Amino acid sequence: MMGRYPRWPIHFALIGAGIVMLVPFYWVLKTSVSGENIYAYPPSIVPRHIHPFFYIDVWYSIPFARYFLNSVAVSIIAVVCNVAFNAMAGYALTHGFRGKNAVMLLFLSCMMVPFQATIIPAYLITGKLGLLDSWLGLALPQCSTIICIFVFKSSFDAVPRSLIDAARIDGLPEWRIIWHIMLPLSRSAIATNVILAFIWSWNNFLWPLIMTRSADMQTLPLGLARFLSYQEDTTGALYAFCIMVLAPGLVLFLMAQKEFIQGLTSGATKG
Amino acid sequence: MTAIESPMPRSVGRILRPRTRQTLLLWCFLAPSLVIFLLYRVIPVIWNLVLSFQYWSPLKAAEFAGWDHYEDLWFDDVFWQALWNTLIVIASAPIGIALALGLALLVNADIRGRNVYRTIIFLSYPLMTVAVAIIWRWMFDERVGLINYAARTFDLVDKPIPFLNSFTWALPSVIVANIWQMLGFYMIILLAGLQNVPRELHEAAAIDGAGALHRFTRITLPLIRPSLFLAFVIGMLNAITSFDLVYVMTGGGPGRATEILVTYIYKLGFVQTKFDSAAAVTIVFFVLLISIAWAANRFTGGNAGAVETE
Repeated sequence: MMGRYPRWPIHFALIGAGIVMLVPFYWVLKTSVSGENIYAYPPSIVPRHIHPFFYIDVWYSIPFARYFLNSVAVSIIAVVCNVAFNAMAGYALTHGFRGKNAVMLLFLSCMMVPFQATIIPAYLITGKLGLLDSWLGLALPQCSTIICIFVFKSSFDAVPRSLIDAARIDGLPEWRIIWHIMLPLSRSAIATNVILAFIWSWNNFLWPLIMTRSADMQTLPLGLARFLSYQEDTTGALYAFCIMVLAPGLVLFLMAQKEFIQGLTSGATKG
Repeated sequence: MTAIESPMPRSVGRILRPRTRQTLLLWCFLAPSLVIFLLYRVIPVIWNLVLSFQYWSPLKAAEFAGWDHYEDLWFDDVFWQALWNTLIVIASAPIGIALALGLALLVNADIRGRNVYRTIIFLSYPLMTVAVAIIWRWMFDERVGLINYAARTFDLVDKPIPFLNSFTWALPSVIVANIWQMLGFYMIILLAGLQNVPRELHEAAAIDGAGALHRFTRITLPLIRPSLFLAFVIGMLNAITSFDLVYVMTGGGPGRATEILVTYIYKLGFVQTKFDSAAAVTIVFFVLLISIAWAANRFTGGNAGAVETE
Protein backbone atom coordinates (compact mmCIF):
# COMPACT_ATOMS: atom_id res chain seq x y z
CA MET A 1 0.00 0.00 0.00
CA MET A 2 2.64 2.49 1.10
CA GLY A 3 5.69 2.58 -1.09
CA ARG A 4 3.79 2.27 -4.38
CA TYR A 5 3.86 5.95 -5.12
CA PRO A 6 6.24 7.11 -7.90
CA ARG A 7 9.62 8.21 -6.62
CA TRP A 8 10.76 10.53 -9.36
CA PRO A 9 8.83 13.65 -8.24
CA ILE A 10 10.45 13.36 -4.83
CA HIS A 11 13.91 13.05 -6.34
CA PHE A 12 13.11 15.92 -8.63
CA ALA A 13 12.09 18.23 -5.76
CA LEU A 14 15.03 17.21 -3.59
CA ILE A 15 17.54 17.71 -6.39
CA GLY A 16 16.06 21.16 -6.88
CA ALA A 17 16.48 21.93 -3.18
CA GLY A 18 20.01 20.54 -3.28
CA ILE A 19 20.89 22.86 -6.15
CA VAL A 20 19.54 25.87 -4.26
CA MET A 21 21.67 24.90 -1.28
CA LEU A 22 24.85 24.26 -3.26
CA VAL A 23 24.82 26.95 -5.93
CA PRO A 24 25.89 29.81 -3.62
CA PHE A 25 28.99 27.78 -2.65
CA TYR A 26 29.71 27.09 -6.27
CA TRP A 27 29.35 30.73 -7.25
CA VAL A 28 31.91 31.81 -4.66
CA LEU A 29 34.25 28.93 -5.45
CA LYS A 30 34.06 29.77 -9.13
CA THR A 31 34.89 33.41 -8.46
CA SER A 32 37.81 32.51 -6.22
CA VAL A 33 39.60 30.44 -8.86
CA SER A 34 38.86 32.34 -12.05
CA GLY A 35 41.70 34.29 -13.53
CA GLU A 36 39.54 36.80 -15.41
CA ASN A 37 38.11 40.09 -14.20
CA ILE A 38 35.46 39.09 -11.70
CA TYR A 39 33.25 41.98 -12.80
CA ALA A 40 33.06 40.94 -16.44
CA TYR A 41 29.46 40.81 -17.63
CA PRO A 42 27.89 38.41 -18.36
CA PRO A 43 29.53 36.38 -15.58
CA SER A 44 30.78 33.02 -16.78
CA ILE A 45 29.01 29.97 -15.45
CA VAL A 46 32.12 27.81 -15.43
CA PRO A 47 35.41 29.31 -14.23
CA ARG A 48 37.66 30.46 -17.06
CA HIS A 49 41.45 30.55 -16.87
CA ILE A 50 41.54 28.64 -13.58
CA HIS A 51 44.23 30.16 -11.45
CA PRO A 52 45.22 30.06 -7.74
CA PHE A 53 46.24 33.73 -7.90
CA PHE A 54 43.64 34.95 -5.40
CA TYR A 55 44.68 32.35 -2.83
CA ILE A 56 48.28 33.44 -3.05
CA ASP A 57 47.11 37.03 -2.83
CA VAL A 58 45.28 36.30 0.42
CA TRP A 59 48.32 34.62 1.89
CA TYR A 60 50.50 37.68 1.24
CA SER A 61 48.08 40.55 1.76
CA ILE A 62 46.83 39.56 5.22
CA PRO A 63 48.44 37.73 8.15
CA PHE A 64 46.39 34.63 7.41
CA ALA A 65 48.65 32.37 9.45
CA ARG A 66 48.31 34.64 12.48
CA TYR A 67 44.49 34.71 12.25
CA PHE A 68 44.48 30.96 11.82
CA LEU A 69 46.70 30.48 14.87
CA ASN A 70 44.43 32.71 16.97
CA SER A 71 41.32 30.86 15.85
CA VAL A 72 42.90 27.48 16.55
CA ALA A 73 44.22 28.53 19.96
CA VAL A 74 40.89 29.97 21.07
CA SER A 75 39.01 26.94 19.78
CA ILE A 76 41.35 24.54 21.59
CA ILE A 77 40.93 26.39 24.90
CA ALA A 78 37.16 26.48 24.42
CA VAL A 79 36.89 22.80 23.46
CA VAL A 80 39.13 21.48 26.26
CA CYS A 81 37.44 23.58 28.95
CA ASN A 82 34.02 22.78 27.56
CA VAL A 83 34.48 19.03 27.69
CA ALA A 84 36.14 19.06 31.12
CA PHE A 85 33.74 21.50 32.81
CA ASN A 86 30.58 20.11 31.21
CA ALA A 87 31.50 16.52 32.05
CA MET A 88 32.16 17.50 35.67
CA ALA A 89 28.94 19.47 35.95
CA GLY A 90 26.95 16.78 34.17
CA TYR A 91 28.35 14.17 36.56
CA ALA A 92 27.46 16.27 39.59
CA LEU A 93 23.89 16.61 38.34
CA THR A 94 23.42 12.84 38.18
CA HIS A 95 23.59 12.84 42.00
CA GLY A 96 21.11 14.16 44.48
CA PHE A 97 22.56 16.80 46.78
CA ARG A 98 21.52 19.89 48.68
CA GLY A 99 20.91 22.79 46.32
CA LYS A 100 20.59 20.67 43.20
CA ASN A 101 17.20 22.11 42.32
CA ALA A 102 18.57 25.63 42.62
CA VAL A 103 21.44 24.73 40.27
CA MET A 104 19.07 23.18 37.73
CA LEU A 105 16.86 26.24 37.87
CA LEU A 106 19.88 28.49 37.39
CA PHE A 107 21.06 26.49 34.38
CA LEU A 108 17.64 26.47 32.77
CA SER A 109 17.17 30.20 33.20
CA CYS A 110 20.70 30.91 31.96
CA MET A 111 19.73 29.12 28.77
CA MET A 112 17.21 31.88 28.15
CA VAL A 113 19.98 34.50 28.11
CA PRO A 114 21.54 34.72 24.65
CA PHE A 115 25.08 36.03 24.50
CA GLN A 116 23.93 39.01 22.44
CA ALA A 117 21.98 40.29 25.45
CA THR A 118 25.08 40.37 27.64
CA ILE A 119 27.69 42.01 25.46
CA ILE A 120 28.11 45.26 27.37
CA PRO A 121 28.55 43.86 30.89
CA ALA A 122 30.50 40.92 29.44
CA TYR A 123 32.95 43.39 27.94
CA LEU A 124 33.22 45.35 31.18
CA ILE A 125 33.65 42.18 33.28
CA THR A 126 36.33 40.81 30.98
CA GLY A 127 38.04 44.17 31.21
CA LYS A 128 37.97 44.00 35.03
CA LEU A 129 39.51 40.52 34.84
CA GLY A 130 42.26 41.98 32.67
CA LEU A 131 41.56 39.51 29.89
CA LEU A 132 40.61 41.85 27.05
CA ASP A 133 42.53 41.17 23.87
CA SER A 134 43.77 37.74 24.97
CA TRP A 135 43.14 34.14 23.93
CA LEU A 136 41.74 33.21 27.33
CA GLY A 137 39.39 36.17 27.30
CA LEU A 138 38.18 35.22 23.85
CA ALA A 139 37.46 31.66 24.93
CA LEU A 140 36.15 32.26 28.45
CA PRO A 141 32.44 32.95 27.76
CA GLN A 142 32.32 29.74 25.73
CA CYS A 143 34.09 27.53 28.23
CA SER A 144 30.92 25.83 29.38
CA THR A 145 27.61 25.29 27.61
CA ILE A 146 24.39 24.25 29.25
CA ILE A 147 23.09 22.12 26.39
CA CYS A 148 26.26 20.03 26.54
CA ILE A 149 26.03 19.69 30.32
CA PHE A 150 22.65 18.04 29.79
CA VAL A 151 24.04 15.87 26.99
CA PHE A 152 26.64 14.60 29.47
CA LYS A 153 24.09 14.21 32.24
CA SER A 154 21.82 12.00 30.16
CA SER A 155 24.80 9.98 28.96
CA PHE A 156 26.00 9.43 32.56
CA ASP A 157 22.47 8.58 33.66
CA ALA A 158 22.52 5.72 31.18
CA VAL A 159 25.55 4.10 32.86
CA PRO A 160 24.27 1.13 34.91
CA ARG A 161 24.00 2.02 38.57
CA SER A 162 25.32 -1.41 39.63
CA LEU A 163 28.60 -0.78 37.84
CA ILE A 164 29.20 2.40 39.80
CA ASP A 165 28.17 0.81 43.09
CA ALA A 166 30.55 -2.09 42.47
CA ALA A 167 33.39 0.33 41.80
CA ARG A 168 32.55 2.27 44.95
CA ILE A 169 32.52 -0.89 47.07
CA ASP A 170 35.95 -1.69 45.66
CA GLY A 171 36.98 1.66 47.09
CA LEU A 172 37.62 3.56 43.88
CA PRO A 173 37.80 7.32 44.48
CA GLU A 174 35.25 9.51 42.72
CA TRP A 175 37.60 10.88 40.07
CA ARG A 176 38.69 7.38 39.07
CA ILE A 177 35.06 6.31 38.72
CA ILE A 178 34.59 9.17 36.31
CA TRP A 179 37.84 8.59 34.46
CA HIS A 180 37.77 4.79 34.16
CA ILE A 181 34.04 4.02 33.99
CA MET A 182 31.88 7.00 33.09
CA LEU A 183 33.98 8.67 30.41
CA PRO A 184 34.83 5.56 28.37
CA LEU A 185 31.11 4.77 28.29
CA SER A 186 30.25 8.28 27.11
CA ARG A 187 32.36 8.55 23.98
CA SER A 188 29.51 9.83 21.85
CA ALA A 189 28.67 12.56 24.35
CA ILE A 190 32.30 13.65 24.29
CA ALA A 191 32.41 13.64 20.50
CA THR A 192 29.21 15.68 20.36
CA ASN A 193 30.57 18.20 22.81
CA VAL A 194 33.92 18.50 21.03
CA ILE A 195 32.27 19.15 17.69
CA LEU A 196 29.65 21.60 18.95
CA ALA A 197 32.18 23.54 21.02
CA PHE A 198 34.59 23.69 18.11
CA ILE A 199 32.00 24.92 15.61
CA TRP A 200 30.62 27.52 18.03
CA SER A 201 34.01 28.88 18.89
CA TRP A 202 35.41 28.70 15.33
CA ASN A 203 32.42 30.64 13.95
CA ASN A 204 32.10 33.14 16.76
CA PHE A 205 32.16 36.70 15.51
CA LEU A 206 30.45 39.17 17.85
CA TRP A 207 32.66 38.54 20.87
CA PRO A 208 36.02 38.85 19.07
CA LEU A 209 34.63 41.93 17.29
CA ILE A 210 33.99 43.60 20.64
CA MET A 211 36.97 42.62 22.67
CA THR A 212 40.02 42.40 20.41
CA ARG A 213 41.94 45.61 19.94
CA SER A 214 45.25 44.63 18.40
CA ALA A 215 45.48 43.29 14.85
CA ASP A 216 47.54 40.42 16.26
CA MET A 217 44.62 39.01 18.21
CA GLN A 218 42.05 38.84 15.43
CA THR A 219 40.46 35.51 14.67
CA LEU A 220 39.47 34.29 11.20
CA PRO A 221 35.85 35.54 11.13
CA LEU A 222 37.00 38.93 12.32
CA GLY A 223 39.82 38.97 9.78
CA LEU A 224 37.31 38.09 7.08
CA ALA A 225 34.95 40.89 8.06
CA ARG A 226 37.83 43.38 8.29
CA PHE A 227 39.10 42.31 4.89
CA LEU A 228 35.65 42.98 3.47
CA SER A 229 35.48 46.45 5.01
CA TYR A 230 38.94 47.45 3.69
CA GLN A 231 38.63 46.01 0.20
CA GLU A 232 34.87 46.08 -0.39
CA ASP A 233 33.99 43.22 -2.73
CA THR A 234 36.32 44.39 -5.44
CA THR A 235 38.81 41.55 -5.36
CA GLY A 236 38.46 37.84 -5.86
CA ALA A 237 40.82 37.42 -2.92
CA LEU A 238 37.86 38.01 -0.62
CA TYR A 239 36.18 34.90 -1.97
CA ALA A 240 39.39 32.89 -1.81
CA PHE A 241 39.67 33.93 1.85
CA CYS A 242 36.05 32.89 2.33
CA ILE A 243 36.72 29.41 0.96
CA MET A 244 39.87 29.05 3.07
CA VAL A 245 37.92 29.91 6.21
CA LEU A 246 34.99 27.64 5.39
CA ALA A 247 37.08 24.59 4.55
CA PRO A 248 38.12 23.44 8.08
CA GLY A 249 34.60 23.65 9.50
CA LEU A 250 33.19 21.90 6.46
CA VAL A 251 35.70 19.05 6.59
CA LEU A 252 35.14 18.54 10.31
CA PHE A 253 31.39 18.55 9.85
CA LEU A 254 31.49 16.01 7.04
CA MET A 255 33.75 13.75 9.10
CA ALA A 256 31.60 13.85 12.21
CA GLN A 257 28.19 14.55 10.77
CA LYS A 258 26.47 11.86 12.80
CA GLU A 259 27.66 13.13 16.17
CA PHE A 260 26.93 16.70 15.20
CA ILE A 261 23.33 16.04 14.22
CA GLN A 262 22.83 13.72 17.17
CA GLY A 263 24.11 16.37 19.53
CA LEU A 264 21.87 19.06 18.13
CA THR A 265 18.76 16.91 18.15
CA SER A 266 19.42 15.31 21.53
CA GLY A 267 20.19 18.70 23.02
CA ALA A 268 17.09 20.07 21.42
CA THR A 269 14.40 17.40 21.55
CA LYS A 270 14.85 15.65 24.86
CA GLY A 271 11.92 16.34 27.05
CA MET B 1 24.91 7.98 80.04
CA THR B 2 28.37 8.26 78.69
CA ALA B 3 28.26 4.69 77.56
CA ILE B 4 25.22 5.42 75.43
CA GLU B 5 26.19 8.86 74.23
CA SER B 6 29.74 8.26 73.22
CA PRO B 7 29.19 5.92 70.27
CA MET B 8 26.54 8.26 68.86
CA PRO B 9 28.74 11.07 67.58
CA ARG B 10 31.16 8.56 66.14
CA SER B 11 28.53 6.71 64.13
CA VAL B 12 26.89 9.96 63.08
CA GLY B 13 30.30 11.21 62.06
CA ARG B 14 30.92 8.07 60.06
CA ILE B 15 27.65 8.48 58.14
CA LEU B 16 27.69 12.23 57.77
CA ARG B 17 31.25 12.97 56.98
CA PRO B 18 31.55 11.07 53.70
CA ARG B 19 28.23 12.53 52.62
CA THR B 20 29.27 16.11 53.34
CA ARG B 21 32.55 15.37 51.67
CA GLN B 22 30.75 14.11 48.62
CA THR B 23 28.42 17.10 48.52
CA LEU B 24 31.45 19.34 48.71
CA LEU B 25 33.11 17.42 45.91
CA LEU B 26 30.02 17.73 43.73
CA TRP B 27 29.96 21.47 44.29
CA CYS B 28 33.63 21.59 43.28
CA PHE B 29 32.67 19.78 40.08
CA LEU B 30 29.96 22.33 39.42
CA ALA B 31 32.14 25.30 40.34
CA PRO B 32 33.86 26.04 36.98
CA SER B 33 30.60 26.00 35.04
CA LEU B 34 28.83 28.00 37.73
CA VAL B 35 31.57 30.64 37.74
CA ILE B 36 31.34 31.00 33.95
CA PHE B 37 27.57 31.29 33.99
CA LEU B 38 27.68 33.77 36.86
CA LEU B 39 30.26 35.91 35.04
CA TYR B 40 28.70 35.77 31.60
CA ARG B 41 24.98 35.25 32.19
CA VAL B 42 23.75 36.17 35.67
CA ILE B 43 25.85 39.21 36.48
CA PRO B 44 25.43 40.71 32.98
CA VAL B 45 21.65 40.56 33.22
CA ILE B 46 21.65 42.33 36.58
CA TRP B 47 24.34 44.78 35.53
CA ASN B 48 22.39 45.64 32.36
CA LEU B 49 19.34 46.41 34.44
CA VAL B 50 21.32 48.62 36.82
CA LEU B 51 23.20 50.32 34.00
CA SER B 52 19.99 51.20 32.17
CA PHE B 53 18.93 53.37 35.12
CA GLN B 54 22.25 55.21 35.37
CA TYR B 55 24.23 57.86 33.58
CA TRP B 56 27.51 56.10 33.14
CA SER B 57 30.46 55.99 30.82
CA PRO B 58 33.84 54.35 31.39
CA LEU B 59 35.45 57.59 32.55
CA LYS B 60 32.61 59.00 34.63
CA ALA B 61 31.18 58.17 38.03
CA ALA B 62 27.71 56.67 37.90
CA GLU B 63 24.73 58.90 38.49
CA PHE B 64 21.12 57.89 38.93
CA ALA B 65 19.14 58.48 35.74
CA GLY B 66 15.70 57.14 36.54
CA TRP B 67 13.72 56.33 33.43
CA ASP B 68 15.64 58.86 31.29
CA HIS B 69 17.20 56.32 28.92
CA TYR B 70 13.89 54.61 28.33
CA GLU B 71 12.27 57.98 27.71
CA ASP B 72 14.98 58.77 25.15
CA LEU B 73 14.25 55.48 23.44
CA TRP B 74 10.58 56.36 23.22
CA PHE B 75 11.49 59.38 21.06
CA ASP B 76 14.27 57.59 19.18
CA ASP B 77 13.21 56.79 15.60
CA VAL B 78 16.15 54.46 15.07
CA PHE B 79 15.08 52.38 18.05
CA TRP B 80 11.54 51.97 16.70
CA GLN B 81 12.90 51.11 13.27
CA ALA B 82 15.23 48.50 14.81
CA LEU B 83 12.39 47.04 16.87
CA TRP B 84 10.11 46.87 13.83
CA ASN B 85 12.82 45.23 11.69
CA THR B 86 13.49 42.71 14.45
CA LEU B 87 9.81 41.81 14.52
CA ILE B 88 9.79 41.38 10.72
CA VAL B 89 12.78 39.06 10.90
CA ILE B 90 11.07 37.06 13.65
CA ALA B 91 7.88 36.86 11.58
CA SER B 92 9.91 35.40 8.70
CA ALA B 93 10.95 32.35 10.71
CA PRO B 94 7.70 30.43 9.94
CA ILE B 95 8.43 30.69 6.19
CA GLY B 96 11.68 28.82 6.67
CA ILE B 97 10.00 26.29 8.92
CA ALA B 98 7.22 25.63 6.39
CA LEU B 99 9.83 25.07 3.65
CA ALA B 100 11.80 22.82 5.98
CA LEU B 101 8.67 20.81 6.78
CA GLY B 102 8.18 20.14 3.07
CA LEU B 103 11.79 19.04 2.71
CA ALA B 104 11.60 16.90 5.85
CA LEU B 105 8.54 15.09 4.46
CA LEU B 106 10.38 14.43 1.20
CA VAL B 107 13.58 13.26 2.89
CA ASN B 108 11.53 11.09 5.24
CA ALA B 109 10.07 9.25 2.25
CA ASP B 110 11.46 5.83 1.58
CA ILE B 111 13.85 6.75 -1.23
CA ARG B 112 17.39 6.06 -2.24
CA GLY B 113 20.10 8.55 -1.31
CA ARG B 114 18.10 10.27 1.41
CA ASN B 115 21.21 10.64 3.56
CA VAL B 116 22.96 12.46 0.74
CA TYR B 117 20.04 14.86 0.33
CA ARG B 118 19.91 15.39 4.07
CA THR B 119 23.62 16.20 4.25
CA ILE B 120 23.45 18.64 1.35
CA ILE B 121 20.47 20.50 2.78
CA PHE B 122 22.03 20.61 6.25
CA LEU B 123 25.47 21.66 4.99
CA SER B 124 24.94 25.41 5.31
CA TYR B 125 23.98 25.35 8.98
CA PRO B 126 27.34 24.68 10.67
CA LEU B 127 29.18 27.18 8.47
CA MET B 128 30.64 30.43 9.70
CA THR B 129 27.92 33.05 9.40
CA VAL B 130 30.38 35.76 8.41
CA ALA B 131 31.37 33.68 5.38
CA VAL B 132 27.70 32.93 4.61
CA ALA B 133 27.05 36.67 4.64
CA ILE B 134 29.88 37.25 2.16
CA ILE B 135 28.62 34.43 -0.07
CA TRP B 136 25.18 36.04 -0.17
CA ARG B 137 26.55 39.52 -0.75
CA TRP B 138 28.13 38.09 -3.85
CA MET B 139 24.93 36.30 -4.89
CA PHE B 140 22.97 39.55 -4.53
CA ASP B 141 25.64 41.65 -6.25
CA GLU B 142 24.18 44.28 -8.55
CA ARG B 143 26.52 43.76 -11.49
CA VAL B 144 27.55 40.12 -11.57
CA GLY B 145 25.53 38.47 -8.81
CA LEU B 146 23.92 35.23 -9.88
CA ILE B 147 20.43 36.37 -8.90
CA ASN B 148 20.54 39.52 -11.00
CA TYR B 149 22.20 37.63 -13.82
CA ALA B 150 19.45 35.01 -13.83
CA ALA B 151 16.72 37.63 -13.58
CA ARG B 152 18.19 39.57 -16.50
CA THR B 153 18.78 36.48 -18.61
CA PHE B 154 15.17 35.42 -18.24
CA ASP B 155 14.00 39.01 -18.78
CA LEU B 156 12.35 39.27 -15.38
CA VAL B 157 13.84 42.72 -14.79
CA ASP B 158 15.00 45.50 -17.12
CA LYS B 159 17.60 46.95 -14.83
CA PRO B 160 19.64 44.99 -12.26
CA ILE B 161 18.29 45.41 -8.73
CA PRO B 162 20.83 46.66 -6.17
CA PHE B 163 19.36 44.31 -3.57
CA LEU B 164 21.50 45.21 -0.57
CA ASN B 165 21.51 48.94 -1.31
CA SER B 166 17.79 49.23 -1.77
CA PHE B 167 15.46 50.27 1.03
CA THR B 168 12.80 47.84 -0.15
CA TRP B 169 14.96 44.81 -0.88
CA ALA B 170 17.72 44.91 1.74
CA LEU B 171 15.76 43.35 4.60
CA PRO B 172 14.12 40.61 2.48
CA SER B 173 17.56 39.77 1.06
CA VAL B 174 19.01 39.32 4.54
CA ILE B 175 16.00 37.18 5.44
CA VAL B 176 16.57 34.96 2.39
CA ALA B 177 20.18 34.40 3.45
CA ASN B 178 19.07 33.64 6.99
CA ILE B 179 16.48 31.10 5.85
CA TRP B 180 19.04 29.50 3.54
CA GLN B 181 21.36 28.97 6.47
CA MET B 182 18.73 27.75 8.95
CA LEU B 183 16.71 25.53 6.61
CA GLY B 184 18.76 22.40 7.23
CA PHE B 185 18.59 22.77 10.98
CA TYR B 186 14.80 23.11 11.00
CA MET B 187 14.63 20.10 8.70
CA ILE B 188 16.70 17.97 11.08
CA ILE B 189 14.48 18.86 14.03
CA LEU B 190 11.29 18.13 12.09
CA LEU B 191 12.77 14.93 10.72
CA ALA B 192 13.40 13.72 14.27
CA GLY B 193 9.71 14.35 14.95
CA LEU B 194 8.56 12.64 11.75
CA GLN B 195 10.56 9.54 12.51
CA ASN B 196 8.55 9.11 15.70
CA VAL B 197 5.28 8.92 13.78
CA PRO B 198 4.40 5.22 13.66
CA ARG B 199 4.07 3.93 10.10
CA GLU B 200 1.17 1.64 11.09
CA LEU B 201 -1.01 4.65 11.84
CA HIS B 202 -0.62 5.85 8.27
CA GLU B 203 -1.20 2.40 6.87
CA ALA B 204 -4.34 1.89 8.94
CA ALA B 205 -5.71 5.27 7.90
CA ALA B 206 -4.91 4.56 4.26
CA ILE B 207 -6.78 1.28 4.43
CA ASP B 208 -9.74 3.14 5.92
CA GLY B 209 -9.64 5.30 2.82
CA ALA B 210 -8.06 8.50 4.16
CA GLY B 211 -6.36 10.55 1.44
CA ALA B 212 -2.77 11.76 1.67
CA LEU B 213 -3.77 15.31 2.62
CA HIS B 214 -6.12 14.03 5.27
CA ARG B 215 -3.47 11.75 6.74
CA PHE B 216 -1.02 14.67 6.83
CA THR B 217 -3.36 17.07 8.65
CA ARG B 218 -4.94 14.49 10.95
CA ILE B 219 -2.01 12.23 11.81
CA THR B 220 1.34 13.76 10.93
CA LEU B 221 0.79 17.36 12.01
CA PRO B 222 -0.64 16.62 15.47
CA LEU B 223 2.07 14.08 16.17
CA ILE B 224 4.97 16.34 15.22
CA ARG B 225 3.57 19.31 17.13
CA PRO B 226 6.37 19.28 19.74
CA SER B 227 9.13 19.37 17.11
CA LEU B 228 7.24 22.00 15.18
CA PHE B 229 7.07 24.26 18.21
CA LEU B 230 10.68 23.56 19.02
CA ALA B 231 11.60 24.68 15.51
CA PHE B 232 9.53 27.84 16.04
CA VAL B 233 11.27 28.67 19.30
CA ILE B 234 14.73 28.06 17.84
CA GLY B 235 13.83 29.97 14.70
CA MET B 236 12.66 32.99 16.63
CA LEU B 237 15.67 32.96 18.93
CA ASN B 238 17.91 32.73 15.88
CA ALA B 239 16.07 35.55 14.13
CA ILE B 240 16.23 37.86 17.11
CA THR B 241 19.96 37.28 17.59
CA SER B 242 21.22 37.19 13.99
CA PHE B 243 23.88 39.83 14.42
CA ASP B 244 26.63 38.40 12.22
CA LEU B 245 24.55 38.14 9.08
CA VAL B 246 23.14 41.67 9.26
CA TYR B 247 26.40 43.25 10.33
CA VAL B 248 28.40 41.76 7.47
CA MET B 249 25.75 41.85 4.74
CA THR B 250 24.48 45.40 5.18
CA GLY B 251 25.86 46.85 8.40
CA GLY B 252 22.29 47.87 9.22
CA GLY B 253 21.98 49.98 6.06
CA PRO B 254 21.06 51.40 3.68
CA GLY B 255 20.12 54.14 6.11
CA ARG B 256 18.61 52.11 8.91
CA ALA B 257 16.66 49.78 6.63
CA THR B 258 18.13 46.59 8.13
CA GLU B 259 18.98 47.82 11.62
CA ILE B 260 17.85 45.26 14.19
CA LEU B 261 17.99 45.55 17.98
CA VAL B 262 21.23 43.59 18.33
CA THR B 263 23.12 45.67 15.78
CA TYR B 264 21.73 48.82 17.39
CA ILE B 265 22.94 47.67 20.82
CA TYR B 266 26.38 47.04 19.35
CA LYS B 267 26.52 50.43 17.65
CA LEU B 268 25.29 52.35 20.70
CA GLY B 269 27.68 50.54 23.00
CA PHE B 270 30.83 50.05 21.02
CA VAL B 271 30.72 52.67 18.27
CA GLN B 272 29.19 55.60 20.16
CA THR B 273 30.34 54.35 23.62
CA LYS B 274 26.92 55.04 25.14
CA PHE B 275 26.96 51.96 27.35
CA ASP B 276 24.01 53.17 29.42
CA SER B 277 21.62 53.72 26.49
CA ALA B 278 22.76 50.43 24.99
CA ALA B 279 21.89 48.74 28.28
CA ALA B 280 18.38 50.17 28.08
CA VAL B 281 17.95 48.77 24.54
CA THR B 282 19.29 45.45 25.82
CA ILE B 283 16.59 45.38 28.50
CA VAL B 284 13.90 45.96 25.85
CA PHE B 285 15.50 43.22 23.75
CA PHE B 286 15.45 40.92 26.74
CA VAL B 287 11.80 41.62 27.53
CA LEU B 288 10.92 40.82 23.90
CA LEU B 289 12.85 37.56 24.16
CA ILE B 290 11.18 36.53 27.40
CA SER B 291 7.72 37.33 26.06
CA ILE B 292 8.36 35.18 22.98
CA ALA B 293 9.52 32.32 25.17
CA TRP B 294 6.52 32.78 27.43
CA ALA B 295 4.11 32.85 24.49
CA ALA B 296 5.69 29.74 22.97
CA ASN B 297 5.41 28.06 26.34
CA ARG B 298 1.72 28.89 26.60
CA PHE B 299 1.00 27.62 23.11
CA THR B 300 2.59 24.27 23.79
CA GLY B 301 0.93 23.96 27.16
CA GLY B 302 4.24 24.15 29.00
CA ASN B 303 6.16 21.82 26.75
CA ALA B 304 8.60 24.33 25.36
CA GLY B 305 9.93 24.96 28.84
CA ALA B 306 11.15 21.37 28.83
CA VAL B 307 13.05 22.05 25.63
CA GLU B 308 16.70 21.12 25.89
CA THR B 309 16.43 19.80 29.43
CA GLU B 310 16.72 16.21 30.44
